[in-house]
Amino acid sequence: MSLSSVLALAAVALSSLAVATAPRSVLAFLAFQGALLFVYLAWIPTWLRVGLLGVALLLLMPLIGAFNGYCLEVATQVGIFAALALGLNIVVGLAGLLDLGYVAFFAVGAYSWAIFGSPHANVIFGGGFPLAGAWFYAFLFVGLFVAAITGILLGLPVLRLHGDYLAIVTLGFGEVIRVLANNLDKPINLTNGPKGITPISRPPAPLGLPYGEYFYFLVLLIVVVVVLVNRRLEDSHIGRAWEAIREDELAARAMGVPLVRMKLLAFACGASFAGIMGVLFSAKQVFINPESFTFLESIGVLAMVILGGMGSIPGAVLGATVVTVLNLQVLKGLSLWLNELKNAGVTVLGYSLADLPTQFEPAKYERMIFGVILVLMMIFRPQGILPARRRQRELAHLER
Amino acid sequence: MAALFDARGVTKRFGGLTALQAVDFALESGIASIIGPNGAGKTTLFNIFTGLYPADEGSVTFRGRALFGLRPDQITALGICRTFQNIRLFANMTVIENVLVGMNSRIALGLWDVLSHGPRFARTEADLSTRAVALLDRVGLQANANDVARNLPYGDQRRLELARALASEPALLLLDEPTAGMTRTEAGALMRLLRELVVDLGLAIILIEHNMRVVMEVSDRVTVLDHGEKIAEGPPREVQSDARVIEAYLGTRGSAPQRARRA
Amino acid sequence: MDYPLLLGIFPQVFLDGIILGFMYALIALGYTMVYGVLEFINFAHSEIFIVGAFVGVEFLLGLKSVGLLDGLPWPLVLFLTLVAGMAASGLLAVTVERVAYRPLRNAPRLIPLISAIGISFFLQDLIRLFESLWRNAFNLVYPTIDVLNLRFELTETIDVSVKSLVVIVAALLMLWALHVIVNRTTIGTAIRAVAEDQAAASLMGINVNRIISLTFLIGGAMGGAAGVLFGVQYGLINPYTGFIPGLKAFTAAVLGGIGNIPGAMLGGLVLGLLEAFAASYLSLLTGGAFGAEYKDIFAFSVLIVILIFRPKGLLGEIVRERA
Repeated sequence: MSLSSVLALAAVALSSLAVATAPRSVLAFLAFQGALLFVYLAWIPTWLRVGLLGVALLLLMPLIGAFNGYCLEVATQVGIFAALALGLNIVVGLAGLLDLGYVAFFAVGAYSWAIFGSPHANVIFGGGFPLAGAWFYAFLFVGLFVAAITGILLGLPVLRLHGDYLAIVTLGFGEVIRVLANNLDKPINLTNGPKGITPISRPPAPLGLPYGEYFYFLVLLIVVVVVLVNRRLEDSHIGRAWEAIREDELAARAMGVPLVRMKLLAFACGASFAGIMGVLFSAKQVFINPESFTFLESIGVLAMVILGGMGSIPGAVLGATVVTVLNLQVLKGLSLWLNELKNAGVTVLGYSLADLPTQFEPAKYERMIFGVILVLMMIFRPQGILPARRRQRELAHLER
Repeated sequence: MAALFDARGVTKRFGGLTALQAVDFALESGIASIIGPNGAGKTTLFNIFTGLYPADEGSVTFRGRALFGLRPDQITALGICRTFQNIRLFANMTVIENVLVGMNSRIALGLWDVLSHGPRFARTEADLSTRAVALLDRVGLQANANDVARNLPYGDQRRLELARALASEPALLLLDEPTAGMTRTEAGALMRLLRELVVDLGLAIILIEHNMRVVMEVSDRVTVLDHGEKIAEGPPREVQSDARVIEAYLGTRGSAPQRARRA
Repeated sequence: MDYPLLLGIFPQVFLDGIILGFMYALIALGYTMVYGVLEFINFAHSEIFIVGAFVGVEFLLGLKSVGLLDGLPWPLVLFLTLVAGMAASGLLAVTVERVAYRPLRNAPRLIPLISAIGISFFLQDLIRLFESLWRNAFNLVYPTIDVLNLRFELTETIDVSVKSLVVIVAALLMLWALHVIVNRTTIGTAIRAVAEDQAAASLMGINVNRIISLTFLIGGAMGGAAGVLFGVQYGLINPYTGFIPGLKAFTAAVLGGIGNIPGAMLGGLVLGLLEAFAASYLSLLTGGAFGAEYKDIFAFSVLIVILIFRPKGLLGEIVRERA
């Protein structure tokens, strides 16, 4: 057995142990994730890689969840955003269309189940709702299609726009969806406005699994499918057509690539992943309101794609993991840690931390994180951490 | 049997400038060249033929089908393909990927085929690969199949452009200054290749060229444009000694003998 | 249909629209000038705008704490606040250009745009961080200067506050000053030259980098002035207040023709008026079904419609075509 194989096994084993002994420790969980990344990247035989990742994701992670429910929640959120990042990756990374309003598709999917899977639909239709929880599975496909159609509707008018203008128009659309969600409580109450919709039905969990574990496995399954779909799209004439459009639209057209159809397809495919996850999100959260679907979320997903690498499938997953963990665990952990230090009366250079203004809360600084990620990545590594082959060639020559 | 390609009375204005004035151009087979001083409207004509923008007046038909109002990708699907004056390869894609994109209009796969990786998908992709390699072989780039397009030397890039255009299985090929920047040897090789393509594939080719040696050697027919008008058309020798043509290039009578010697 | 009511509120709505319009115009100038010289949307301009507002409020609060706010004559106070805001915003704009845009000048277009978005987000939270630590609050209220809150009655139904008049006058002065700079000075000519054709301008001996920095400085200063006026007019600001007005001002710039300075002014006024009317009348006409938040959608819809149907804007684009 090679050294790296041994290291991989050791990393996974040791970090799992660390988490088992210190379930509340953010560092231990980060170590576990680091171990998984190592397994993914290391020069080890494929069977070992797949085996270790499989064991880690299917066995170890739920076990960790038993010790610390929050870790499982983080893992589930990572999965949700990974699917979103993979969707945006198609639009931005493959086809080169900068969509700044991507969260709109997520919202559309979420609201589609939220409305029909909750008593709220009675307000609109007069009775017969909510639909039984089992309808959730059908709605995964409903969300997919509704989001795809929304993607096409968005795509149609913006087809002729380029670069900057396309970005701003999609931003506008995203904002329009948000404002609509916030205001469509009159004349007909579609979305219940800022109050949001609740309670949203959940499907009956198979095998009597607790919902934390159930949603984790479901998210994992969907992410695997999304990754598979992405790879198949990428390695096909469709993927090549998208790349050609991104390289040189005029030449692509001259070579017989139907621009309109391909761009709409990109929007529709990208949107559909967000749609499915939206449905899942609303069932998982049981409560949604327009606050979850703002420009901040769109940029968050963009930051994930940029960080990981535009057009790169592993990059999108990595980006989603890093950003989600940063926001949900690191920043939050910093906030908690700071509070502990304050309570303990710790002083730094003669200044008591308890005197820090109460408004200063590290957990709230998501925007700063996104901003820093975007700027630093653009200046120092525009091709991302795990670049797609083609982007590596395109952007590597910009590196100083 | 409808004529292969027939353009009549093509007129195009850009604001106050008349780029093309009632130009007729027809081709059945073989290689026809369009020459003329810079700004004569040659590329504009190509752009109209391939649907980049419509003509203001006149008609263009291909195999009896009017091309007016069709998009460039639709025209390519019908069987006309072009190359560009400035190389427009997909720079960061590999050589073979460039050719594969060229085949886009001939692929009958749908979204479901791609997602399901069914037998049709496997067969089609294998078929595409084989054809792509064969095309690269024909232009002499088979050894470079996995090289990145931007890294190819200039002459090879031109040949890749040709291979990519051929990938769409056109009946009519429009080449915009294909030998620009080439050495005499390279240009000669390209011309021989074009001749082979006409014979082997039954292709008709329209060339825009400035290289007179190439034009005279390879063309069955030469058309001369000047300031948007057709001023001469016929076999190469005839056109070469046409007084109006000489005047168009030189502007005055006089140093014609030197010009003729260099050509 | 209560026509007397609808007509009655017209002058007030019109006035509100003008004020809003001038503010959009001032912000729009920053977008349009930068786009003119670089063909680049400075996404962070909305934060440069709000930084001006914050510097203004800190300045005023500072004066207040030393008792000078009521002591000094109010025109002087306002003038100094504007200067402070403009200086801060202008310098911030120049710094941002140097740090986040200049290294990316030759990159494919999406790259600097993404960088600008990053800077925008970064600045929002930077302001929040600063104010959280400095004042333990980041929703700040502009201290009142009593004189400014006096209201004049122009007619029976219209009254206008001194504040609004001051904002209008200040905006007009600034727009006029910009017009003079751009059209009557050598610097202005250099800016216009760089906007036309960067290569030729540098061949004529113009230091293109310096002119670009200057453009950011002036555009930023205009945004900062708008920020101060915004704070004075509307009173309440927070680090995230810049985003929506920024987006709308960008709409105004595009509406007037991006890259075109008179266009930005015109676009700003038109959008301000349209929005004021939409906000007031939409609600009234639909019996409250479509409330005031829809005015935001209104502006975005205008943006989407222009970009799709007339991207040149009203006065046409003064930017060369990218080959």
